[in-house]
Amino acid sequence: MSIWNYVVTAHKPTNVTHSCVGNFTSPQDLNLIIAKCTRIEIHLLSPQGLQPILDVPIYGRIATLELFRPHGEAQDYLFIATERYKFCVLQWDSETAELVTRAMGDVSDRIGRPTDNGQIGIIDPDCRLIGLHLYDGLFKVIPFDNKGQLKEAFNIRLEELQVLDIKFLYGCSKPTIVVLYQDNKDARHVKTYEVALKDKDFVEGPWSQNNLDNGADLLIPVPPPLCGVLIIGEETIVYCSANAFKAIPIRSSITKAYGRVDPDGSRYLLGDHTGLLSLLVITHEKEKVTGLKIEPLGETSIASTISYLDNAFVYIGSSYGDSQLIKLNLQPDAKGSYVEVLERYVNLGPIVDFCVVDLERQGQGQVVTCSGAYKDGSLRVVRNGIGINEQASVELQGIKGMWSLRSSTDDPFDTFLVVSFISETRILAMNLEDELEETEIEGFCSQVQTLFCHDAVHNQLVQVTSSSVRLVSSTTRELRNEWHAPTGYSVNVATANSTQVLLATGGGHLVYLEIGDGILQEVKHAQLEYEISCLDINPIGENPNHSHLAAVGMWTDISVRIFSLPDLNLITKEQLGGEIIPRSVLLCAFEGISYLLCALGDGHLLNFMLNTSTGELTDRKKVSLGTQPITLRTFSSKNTTHVFAASDRPTVIYSSNKKLLYSNVNLKEVSHMCPFNSAAFPDSLAIAKEGELTIGTIDDIQKLHIRSIPLGEHARRICHQEQSRTFAICSLKYNPTSGEESEMHFVRLLDDQTFEFISTYSLDTYEYGCFIISCSFSDDNNVYYCVGTAYVLPEENEPTKGRILVFTVEDGKLQLIAEKETKGAVYCLNAFNGKLLAAINQKIQLYKWVLRDDGTHELQSECGHHGHILALYVQTRGDFIVVGDLMKSISLLIYKHEEGAIEERARDYNANWMSAVEILDDDIYLGSENSFNLFTVRKNSEGATDEERGRLEVVGEYHLGEFINRFRHGSLVMRLPDSDVGQIPTVIFGTINGVIGVIASLPHEQYVFLEKLQSNLRKVIKGVGGLSHEQWRSFNNEKKTVEARNFLDGDLIESFLDLNRGKMDEISKAMDVSVEELCKRVEELTRLH
Amino acid sequence: MHTHMWKQIRDRETGKLHANHFSNRVKSNRISQLQLSNHKDIISPHKGAINSLQIDSTEGRYLLSAASDASVAVYDVQRPTVSEAAAAISKHTSILVVDKQHQHAHKYAVSTAIWYPIDTGLFVTGSYDHHVNVWDTNTTQVVVNFKMPGKVHRIAMSNLSTSHMLIATGTEDVQVRLCDIASGAFAHTLSGHRDGIMTVEWSNSSEWVLVTGGCDGAIRFWDIRRAGCFQVLDQSRTQLGRRPPILKRSMITKDSSTKLRAAQKKHANGSGSRQLPIGRVPSKGPMKQRLHPGMLSTQDRATAHYGAVTGLKDTEDGMYLLSAGSDSRLRLWDIESGCDTLVNFETVRLQINKPLQLATTQDSTLVFIPCMRSVKVFDMWSGNTYSILRGHYECVNSCWFNQQDQELYTGGNDRQILVWSPARSIADEMDEGPAEDQDNWSS
Repeated sequence: MSIWNYVVTAHKPTNVTHSCVGNFTSPQDLNLIIAKCTRIEIHLLSPQGLQPILDVPIYGRIATLELFRPHGEAQDYLFIATERYKFCVLQWDSETAELVTRAMGDVSDRIGRPTDNGQIGIIDPDCRLIGLHLYDGLFKVIPFDNKGQLKEAFNIRLEELQVLDIKFLYGCSKPTIVVLYQDNKDARHVKTYEVALKDKDFVEGPWSQNNLDNGADLLIPVPPPLCGVLIIGEETIVYCSANAFKAIPIRSSITKAYGRVDPDGSRYLLGDHTGLLSLLVITHEKEKVTGLKIEPLGETSIASTISYLDNAFVYIGSSYGDSQLIKLNLQPDAKGSYVEVLERYVNLGPIVDFCVVDLERQGQGQVVTCSGAYKDGSLRVVRNGIGINEQASVELQGIKGMWSLRSSTDDPFDTFLVVSFISETRILAMNLEDELEETEIEGFCSQVQTLFCHDAVHNQLVQVTSSSVRLVSSTTRELRNEWHAPTGYSVNVATANSTQVLLATGGGHLVYLEIGDGILQEVKHAQLEYEISCLDINPIGENPNHSHLAAVGMWTDISVRIFSLPDLNLITKEQLGGEIIPRSVLLCAFEGISYLLCALGDGHLLNFMLNTSTGELTDRKKVSLGTQPITLRTFSSKNTTHVFAASDRPTVIYSSNKKLLYSNVNLKEVSHMCPFNSAAFPDSLAIAKEGELTIGTIDDIQKLHIRSIPLGEHARRICHQEQSRTFAICSLKYNPTSGEESEMHFVRLLDDQTFEFISTYSLDTYEYGCFIISCSFSDDNNVYYCVGTAYVLPEENEPTKGRILVFTVEDGKLQLIAEKETKGAVYCLNAFNGKLLAAINQKIQLYKWVLRDDGTHELQSECGHHGHILALYVQTRGDFIVVGDLMKSISLLIYKHEEGAIEERARDYNANWMSAVEILDDDIYLGSENSFNLFTVRKNSEGATDEERGRLEVVGEYHLGEFINRFRHGSLVMRLPDSDVGQIPTVIFGTINGVIGVIASLPHEQYVFLEKLQSNLRKVIKGVGGLSHEQWRSFNNEKKTVEARNFLDGDLIESFLDLNRGKMDEISKAMDVSVEELCKRVEELTRLH
Repeated sequence: MHTHMWKQIRDRETGKLHANHFSNRVKSNRISQLQLSNHKDIISPHKGAINSLQIDSTEGRYLLSAASDASVAVYDVQRPTVSEAAAAISKHTSILVVDKQHQHAHKYAVSTAIWYPIDTGLFVTGSYDHHVNVWDTNTTQVVVNFKMPGKVHRIAMSNLSTSHMLIATGTEDVQVRLCDIASGAFAHTLSGHRDGIMTVEWSNSSEWVLVTGGCDGAIRFWDIRRAGCFQVLDQSRTQLGRRPPILKRSMITKDSSTKLRAAQKKHANGSGSRQLPIGRVPSKGPMKQRLHPGMLSTQDRATAHYGAVTGLKDTEDGMYLLSAGSDSRLRLWDIESGCDTLVNFETVRLQINKPLQLATTQDSTLVFIPCMRSVKVFDMWSGNTYSILRGHYECVNSCWFNQQDQELYTGGNDRQILVWSPARSIADEMDEGPAEDQDNWSS
């Protein structure tokens, strides 16, 4: 790999950190706004459910997301503050459907220490000021003027140092905050302060309450008429106001999120750490609070946010499991739950570990993640591209075309599959045993190749051959009418729909026929100047049986033309440029937008927007799908039309957010495809590939496919063993009733196809699984699972004992073969030179595998290396060992065979708190650290002095904004040797927010080119809220902030493809590179993930 | 409460524990275990009392020490001098020494040695021989030299500075001098103290703000862009009742100390409309010059300690200032208001005639104070003694806390530099060698 790296997101963050509900997109719209750490999504609540409106990246990690309504406004504004102290106020522009920045700024301070308990951002309910608690001891105020504009911010000293929560109180004549804090004797209290805007100070507020529940952690302000605040503890819930105090005991739980149900604030939904949803009711007589009631409703994912939408619909955002849309029923179900889950939104976060495997052995990596936590723990199998699930297949060589036909016009299912060969046509049909067998349609000509087939109106079928067009009854299967090509001319290409046929014969003759009941009528004939290479009359207008446009691709002048039907008048002619002829054209509509797709003989695809009334073609785009000619065909999946592009790299073209997307199909080469929706194989496709005809169903049309395997427990480490075809995981199960202390830890063996637990080894009490690998040793042919553990004793701060367990898999069972006690936690294990390298607390320890006299094996320590604070992450390559320390960045060790010793070779002296390391190549190592940065260091073997050689030089720095738990070499996509990107080495990473990302090492020339593109894109693509991309990507931690270097933001670069033509032109001009070339180069990069 | 390390790592991994909170917890956990290091030794070459210690701020790697034998030395605290893989205790001998043999060496005691804040290419020394020298680390040549009017007690450079290269110097003289490395000349002098200056300290919140402590017992704040000092700390101004409830507010102002009222009455300069909160300044930007020019003489004569101010330490967050005096008192000041927070540090006995180098942890929970032969560790907010670090045989002069490694270095009249570090588990010292295995094997 290289030091020039390209970082791109393959799977966006899915951890829902914030959500809020309000009228954002219009005064009438009810919107749900969701923050997923570095992205926001805006949804509209519609009768059909949640309808996505916008999904945009934020150049920052969102710390606060609040809707508010300034005086005199009919709809809400959105306030966002980021962890790096930027804030912005956003407004919806309904005309452009874009976010407009109303205000933005920086609220960082030179003084003060960043809060430990997270940043707090709150808005006064009467919209007089925004309050921020970002640093211990400081409360920042951003006042609004009376026009709703923000004024200059100022700080007020907050004497309470350990602040747990701050909220604004409702119904106060002066803005008043309530502060929940802990004193230095660990007791918790609340206190109120009035904010005196003029004096820029606090005035002691109307009330306070001392000595609350020790677990009090959350404040809920209650709106008028009741006002006051709810204080949520672990054992009690308290309502408190100037003149009332009510408390109720609760079942011991930690409340993670709340959502207000009624505008009057009398009911709240509370979600706890076990995923239990409860309803809290404030009982009151008029405005006098009489008491509190709490009632459990049922189980959801462990909530991080709760947004009550409307009519008992509730959005549950989760950090540890899938987010959900639920409905609260009036009556409980059989299990006593009032919660009905209507929809689940996939969340991969937190990805604590993953492995890359090729289970189908197709040459394409799949990622299996340890996702979620607590009861919502799961494994997720993440695969790129669209899979075909094979239902049946027959060997058939030389297929030239395929079409499915129905036995009557109103039959919902297809009956016949017409397969055309070079000199014959065979017809397959489903028999009574639901088997595909050869049959005959008498009226068809089966001794020649079929050029086209289609169902026609009036229970008829159409077959086009080189000499004629035959109209056949689908019921009697007899020929009803036939149109013959003029003598001396043969039909080269043809197309048809239920009522029309368009064909071309040699000499550039274009013939248009219409189909009646038993009638084939030649309606129009036109002579074009060149030969016709392809044509299409797929109806995309209002009439599903009739098209008023025809698309025609031409030889010689390499053009595509639009003709009107029935009169065959030329409407539009578009020169394609180049020398490659169009091989397949297709008229199609996605999400109400009409397109013309035109595939070339070299695997490129052009697409145009088509104005169906004028026939005008606009917005030309070109992508490369493969290297061979492409055949385009539409098909439906889940009532949506998609296009299948059959070629050496089969691709599905679909539309999302009114943008065309291309997703590869996990098949090697497809020559032809047609939809085949038979009763036995509903919603299937017939696919001709490599001498085989396959019938199969297709996955949901999306780029990444995620399969969930819920575990009901938290998997922390995973690895795959090829030989036994198993996965092994270290997992733990919580016993929620007796608190976090009671955990059970396991090593579990799973079948790599079914993902079922097939064997379990329970660890000792207090023994936790820390790491697992599959490895083998010198002089031993067996493959083992090695597990590192730690004894986490309640009285200790740091483990002083652990074990290394060596298992084999015998008959699908884990067999413990050897164990070795260690003097600390085994944080990491690596197979190393036929031995086992363990990271144990401060030490790196090498064990050899020794055969004992009795024929059994044991681990015996050979040598070690001290000098780490905690060696948490270790990777090896040859004799080199790269250690990621708890707080002392990366160091490089070397194992010296002769001396049998491990020595330090070099070290990075920066104080990076590591979260993962990986070796990119012999000299370059990649690290991720605690402040969400990525960096690379390089070994300097050629340094002149010991000092230089002993120092790992930092060569790349970048702020990712994500906490990486794991790197692994590998790829999510099929690496085709013929493509440029096939040669680019990649590393995959997984993060807490559920991001799967790819780091690709680029050749220097490409890096320089893309760096230039990135800097131009920065000028054209403005960050939401005016946030700066350059600042966002700058490496930033407690010690320093420096510009990003030797890393590029692939997400920004790939957003080039979403730009409109004008902006593309702007960049093309600045770069002095054609738009087509830019598109091509960026498209290539999108193939990396 | 310290939860288990392993659990914290797990909680960070799932996002339950925010990454920033994680590192702070680990740090404070480690700091709470400070003890005389069982794995790191610094071998001091000095033949006189150690007067100052400092780790470079760029890498946290090089320790610079200054001693009364006119020498300075540098140690690599990250990398042991002799690397013995199996050795449990790593030894760090000096990698650079400038002593009296050196042609440009100071003649008398070096009272302070500091790194140039941007990189370790330069360091600066101040000596009783009336000189401040700027050294090139690689060539150990003096590149700039300033002649001072008397013994140099303390010098300091701002870690925040992006626009100046000034060395603030406190000497026997009453004036604070700012030596400009860029020009090699005095930038200006700050007048106000009535006696020699014992200690100087740059603000942690503004590169323009300097704090000085004098033998006159005064602590003065200077904005070096303006003439004169803008604040003098007054030991009689305290934080008691600083934010009274709204009803009691008027009463409190009546009851507050007469001194205070006097100051404020005069300060109200005629408008006399409304009582401002005491000593508050707008929090945006650096301190505004409120009391200056023409700072009131009562204010100007205020003292922070009886006797000399011997040590100053600005907390990392820039909000508090810790001062030590020859009155054997420690005071914690709220910088913004200039009030004594009244934290009562359990009585200490301090050296009285020498500048003392105090240290705090990054999160400002603990402070390290040289107290005669020991170093006392106090809880910053309660003033309670957290622990007492005993190891020096004579008086301790200086403490430096290495935030990066959570290690404390102390130097004293016994010429020793001691390392105090988080305890390493005993198990780790017992090397798991093959020999041990052999035993197990045969048994």
